[in-house]
Amino acid sequence: MKIDKELAVGVFLLIGIFSLIYISVKLGKLEVLGNEGYTLYASFENAGGLKSGANVEIAGVKIGKVDGVKLNNYQALVGLTIARNVKIQDDAIASIKTEGLLGEKYLEITPGASDKLLRNGGTIRETESAVDIQELIAKYAFGKV
Amino acid sequence: MKIMRVLVINLLLFFLLSVAGSAYAGAPTDQMRQTVDKVIDILKNKELKKPANERKRRAEIRSAVSERFDFADMAKRSLGIYWRQRTPEERKEFVPLYSDLLERTYVKKIEGYTDEKIAYTGEKINDSHAVVDTKVITSKNQEIPIQYRMLNEDGKWMVYDVSIEGVSLINNYRNQFSNIIHQKSYEELVKKLKSKEQESGK
Repeated sequence: MKIDKELAVGVFLLIGIFSLIYISVKLGKLEVLGNEGYTLYASFENAGGLKSGANVEIAGVKIGKVDGVKLNNYQALVGLTIARNVKIQDDAIASIKTEGLLGEKYLEITPGASDKLLRNGGTIRETESAVDIQELIAKYAFGKV
Repeated sequence: MKIMRVLVINLLLFFLLSVAGSAYAGAPTDQMRQTVDKVIDILKNKELKKPANERKRRAEIRSAVSERFDFADMAKRSLGIYWRQRTPEERKEFVPLYSDLLERTYVKKIEGYTDEKIAYTGEKINDSHAVVDTKVITSKNQEIPIQYRMLNEDGKWMVYDVSIEGVSLINNYRNQFSNIIHQKSYEELVKKLKSKEQESGK
């Protein structure tokens, strides 16, 4: 009897833990992209608050994530992990965009026409920095001193 | 000894010249400036300003711009993934349609030039690619950042993208073309470009 009870508790505990793991993977941002992606870099004049973990999208579909943002040569150097089956041409353009008008920053890539594909460690040369809408409006609405 | 001195001087020169970062205005900026100055000369020309000479003026502007802007490359980049699906004939047809689109869109804006100053604020060269940063300073003292992205084609630096306030021209057209092709078809896009060309009375 004692053994059965302990066994029952142990089994339930294991079921509970596995259920939690299942839910975390399914619902959370814990995707198994880790080793199934390759690394690319992109340099921006203004990262505009792009954060690690931000989405990388093509046609509105998530195809990777931002690994990190560092200052390199007074430019923002962004490291990306891209899903292995997604090919990116060497004339693709990476733009930092905002979800909605006040949402978080993400990276959008528009595919190019080139036959050359970027490989692991490659750099997306064509980039568009974060556009500060408020600054632009102020600049053209109010003029300079 | 003399040989040593020659060697040292040569080495020094070599190092000095190879540290040609953004501190030096190199070939890309020089060539860009040549073209910009050429266009400004055409715009300032009193004879060409006359409405009767509009055709001639625009032909000259187009000619000067074509020397520096690689329209074929820009057309290819703007079509993006859809370029690869095009036959050689379709590509041949598309490039002039695209150039005409750009000309129609921008020539009036260029002709609106009223003595704005152009400042060349920086240059970065990376292999055969270069970025030339400029600013157009308006009479209201507004500074409009315009960036030219250039490719070295046999010693000639040619523009393949222009960014105004950080927004890429190629990306702009890439998104629009992609929308039209995806929602309708490539043939519809070509039709649209052709009908716009006819509307403008070319």
